[in-house]
Amino acid sequence: MASKFGLAGGIPERRVRPIWDAIDSRQFKTALKITTTLLSKHPHSPYALALKALILERMGKSDEALSVCLNAKELLCRDESLLMDDLTLSTLQIVFQRLDHLDLATSCYEHACGKFPNNLELMMGLFNCYVREYSFVKQQQTAIKMYKLVGEERFLLWAVCSIQLQVLCGNGGEKLLLLAEGLLKKHVASHSLHEPEALIVYFSILEQQEKYSDALEILTGKLGSLLMIEVDKLRIQGKLLARAGDYATAANVYQKILELCADDWEAFLHYLGCLFEDDSCWSNETINAPIHPPKFVECKLTHLTDEVFDSRISNASAFVQKLRAEASNDSLRNPYLAHLEIERRKFLFGKNNDDDLIEALLQYYSRFGHLACFTSDVEAFLQVVSPEKKMEFLDKLMKNSNSLSAVPTKALGQSITLLKTQELIGNMFRLSVGELEGSAVQMAELYRKNLPLSKELDPQESMHGEELLSIVCNVLVQLFWRTRNLGYFVEAIMVLEFGLTIRRYVWQYKILLLHLYSHFGALSLAYERYKSLDVKNILMETVSHHMLPQMLASPLWADLSNLIKDYLKFMDDHFRESADLTFLAYRHRNYSKVIEFVQFKERLQHSNQYLVARVESPILQLKQSADNIEEEESILESLKCGIDFVELSNEIGSKSLTFNEDFQSRPWWTPTKEKNYLLGPFEGISYYPKENLTKEREANVRGIVERKSLLPRMIYLSIQSASVLQKDSSEINGSLADPKISSELKTLLERYAKMLGFSLNDAVDVVVGVSHGLKSYEAFGSDIIDWLNFAVFFNAWNLNSHEFGQHGGECTPGSWHLVNSLLESYILGKVRSMEPLIQSPQGDLPILVQLVTEPLAWHGLVIQSCVRSCLPSGKKKKKSGSMDQSLSLLTHAIRDAIQSLCGILEEVAKWSQDQINSPEDNKIDILVSPLRRNGQDEGPGQVFHIFETLVSSPNETELGNRISQALRDWSPVDVARKIVSGQCTVLSEFWRICESKIKSLKTLKQQIAQV
Amino acid sequence: MTTIRRFCCNDLLRFASVNLDHLTETFNMSFYMTYLARWPDYFHVAEGPGNRIMGYIMGKVEGQGESWHGHVTAVTVAPEYRRQQLAKKLMNLLEEISDKIDKAYFVDLFVRASNTPAIKMYEKLGYVIYRRVLRYYSGEEDGLDMRKALSRDVEKKSIIPLKRPVTPDELEYD
Repeated sequence: MASKFGLAGGIPERRVRPIWDAIDSRQFKTALKITTTLLSKHPHSPYALALKALILERMGKSDEALSVCLNAKELLCRDESLLMDDLTLSTLQIVFQRLDHLDLATSCYEHACGKFPNNLELMMGLFNCYVREYSFVKQQQTAIKMYKLVGEERFLLWAVCSIQLQVLCGNGGEKLLLLAEGLLKKHVASHSLHEPEALIVYFSILEQQEKYSDALEILTGKLGSLLMIEVDKLRIQGKLLARAGDYATAANVYQKILELCADDWEAFLHYLGCLFEDDSCWSNETINAPIHPPKFVECKLTHLTDEVFDSRISNASAFVQKLRAEASNDSLRNPYLAHLEIERRKFLFGKNNDDDLIEALLQYYSRFGHLACFTSDVEAFLQVVSPEKKMEFLDKLMKNSNSLSAVPTKALGQSITLLKTQELIGNMFRLSVGELEGSAVQMAELYRKNLPLSKELDPQESMHGEELLSIVCNVLVQLFWRTRNLGYFVEAIMVLEFGLTIRRYVWQYKILLLHLYSHFGALSLAYERYKSLDVKNILMETVSHHMLPQMLASPLWADLSNLIKDYLKFMDDHFRESADLTFLAYRHRNYSKVIEFVQFKERLQHSNQYLVARVESPILQLKQSADNIEEEESILESLKCGIDFVELSNEIGSKSLTFNEDFQSRPWWTPTKEKNYLLGPFEGISYYPKENLTKEREANVRGIVERKSLLPRMIYLSIQSASVLQKDSSEINGSLADPKISSELKTLLERYAKMLGFSLNDAVDVVVGVSHGLKSYEAFGSDIIDWLNFAVFFNAWNLNSHEFGQHGGECTPGSWHLVNSLLESYILGKVRSMEPLIQSPQGDLPILVQLVTEPLAWHGLVIQSCVRSCLPSGKKKKKSGSMDQSLSLLTHAIRDAIQSLCGILEEVAKWSQDQINSPEDNKIDILVSPLRRNGQDEGPGQVFHIFETLVSSPNETELGNRISQALRDWSPVDVARKIVSGQCTVLSEFWRICESKIKSLKTLKQQIAQV
Repeated sequence: MTTIRRFCCNDLLRFASVNLDHLTETFNMSFYMTYLARWPDYFHVAEGPGNRIMGYIMGKVEGQGESWHGHVTAVTVAPEYRRQQLAKKLMNLLEEISDKIDKAYFVDLFVRASNTPAIKMYEKLGYVIYRRVLRYYSGEEDGLDMRKALSRDVEKKSIIPLKRPVTPDELEYD
């Protein structure tokens, strides 16, 4: 019954081939034409219909495609005599899937399988449908049917995976694992197993039930030979033994692994763990565990007696000695690092003081100090010693620096390591300003002197000493933080730009620069640097934190929109295609990957960034259209008036979140996207660990999503609330939904207030207090935007409510005045106190942008809605006399509000314009001249001077043609000009936003004057 | 100092410092996952202390008859772990799996004709230039198809260089 020879879906293949060819070459019109002819001959062929639907979908005609598909489906289900082959069904499936109707595809297959219960091909199709729907239970049932039908191992494993998925990702209880185990056991007894992956799944089923000895028995039995790579087998064995508590045997197994792979660090840690009967490294990972595990190696030692510890540690030492002696080359770091770990444990157990550990570190330096990974290798060991000891270590290293390697590249590596160690232990924070400057100069000199080493290198290869400029930049930023002397900040930028002139591929420089530019308000420049990193695909999830947060508070809406769109598209595409890839893993019998893929999809679905982007995307749209109420309303309509987002806000508290951002590459001064030390004063802090603040961040993200996802709905309700206020009371009590609007808005206001830490009444008191000058803006803390939003929505609600009469009451100007004065005094206060952007990195520009594009914009919408409802229109009834009076009160209030907003915006626009218009040359001079104070040996400019000297007379024979040419291209004035124009781009966008709002308000002013 | 193990999905979230390098391509998800779903033994990652990703290798095994071979799709090492022979270790692992487990005849790879440092490295590892593929990279740059014979190809027939360059459509596999 399935496709017979030469037939495709019951139609001769030669007739179908041209259609496929046309589709493949994207000639959809031609394809459609041939299909229409085909359909005239086979009007009831589901396959021909499916093809037509497929073509229509590709042409973007989704509705037509769906109706043709449904037609085909109906034919298939109705006509018993029709062919029901996998080709037809899978073609329909493709179309249904693309139309987001997985359920319809599934029901086609279900019907077909019901009709032909023993057709394996159809059952596989059905299984695939369930995989796409993540219906693990039905997957299991279908797989079992297939297994019963043909008894193949793979179908059994499909069922077992489906069971495991129910337990790991569904609501299945752990008891189900027993069922999976039973199935496997029975199959093994009668057929054995033939795939290594099947065995791995078997182990994981047993492991999940803590049946370690059962698993070990299987591993050491006949089936164990399925694992062809000896080390893999030993790793499983070691893990199972350790988990079973047989540490002594496990330690022996890890010893064997290390004899085979002496460089396996993880195996060594497990070996030690087993020696010390410590299970901390086996603790189970949960899905929302941070993706970058802490660097610190956990270990438990307290349960050991002195004697036991002594004997075990001496065993370990002897073994490591042996490994070291047997190592075929001395470039293996593991045996030496192992020695460090042993010393660390001794120290933690109180056996030794930290001198031995320091000694071991020094030895490690003398052997591997030239490697770029030295500092990251020893980080965990340095963490356990006291600050004094760290300093002692550093001093000893410094003394060592007189005896550097004779090989120049090695000597350079050792010097860089020294500097990085200094950075790592926080010594840079203890140095005086003078010392820091000296150190920056020294590093720049080192860089300059060693440039000739890279003469022969291919431009694609990283150059020797590249890291130096990153460290110089870090020092200069610290100098800026301490002294607030802008010169250092500019110098930090210059250093990195200089580095990029010499080799333009260094991504580490680009990341530092993008943060410096962001901090300097030159966001468009930062974005350019970001784009040059070519962040795409999965990197968007791990790297976009460098850029996205700043962009959210910027006026660069087009760029922001692209960033969010690209990111959401990537994630959504993955969610769409992930199931197909999971099925691929099933088909290729890589069962462990099945589980991994499903879990990975879940991890991404719970990504905190994804959630934030989903909320920020509509908010951006709402900001962009806020000057035009009709456009805004159509956006709100497309968002289902914000209902789904309210739901998201409700759910967020119980949702688990994942944090997949890679923060390792962030600069020291902004270790997470929420933190920027430069915003605060320098506080002699001695050490800035790049800690993983997941807990803190989690609460923060939840708060943001919870609050922000209420916005679309509150905006919608505010517009509604403001637009019905002119209807008379009979209408209000009649069919219109005003009471509902009012009460819903009140509920949301209550929630909003609660998130700010107050009851509704108290929150209202706070805003009233601040607006009357009884309380200062400090009362709002860092939540200023949210408080002002609250005031705006409160006013909108108050227009339609009688509850807060004392603050405003029925259409009286009280709450209007409240919002006007809050916006006015806060925004104008900011503008008037702001210094020129060129002299003050990260001033209040981001907050100013947010004020204008959020609360002020929402207030503008309330005004627009009021004006619209005040305008006489044919549909409205004549107002009664009493209404006229309240109308006049309202129009008065609206006029005041328009006037107030216009005044604010005009001043902000003027400020921006003044910034833009101030002469470029002056601004460039402000940036460059502090660096060009030749001959000074303090203050900014010393590093810059070194580079200027180098550039002025490059020695071509020493540096080679490429580097010399690059040096000739170096132009600090161009860098300064780019900064200036980058700031201007941002300011111009902001100015444009203000102007557009002013224009819209002026129109409203004219309209309201006619009422 | 290096634990080499199978690459898993979560490593995609850890490899940013490797992939930000301009010569390392970040493919789309279905590309990585297809490799993981079909050839998990050919996709390995090297991890250093603190679970840092040092580098990784991805590849596959394919072909008919005597052209049954392992293929290196990508091999890359993070800047701080370079010049430590890590790429060599990863390559050796893939060669061993192709040789011992899948009994392939040879391993091959493509490299930009301009990427001299990489070509030199592969030559050191025993690869020879088998043929030139004209305009292989985005229709612009030529690629070099480099090969290394495995034990099954006793006479080393698979690596006898072709006399003339080929075009991308003449390639047997993608």
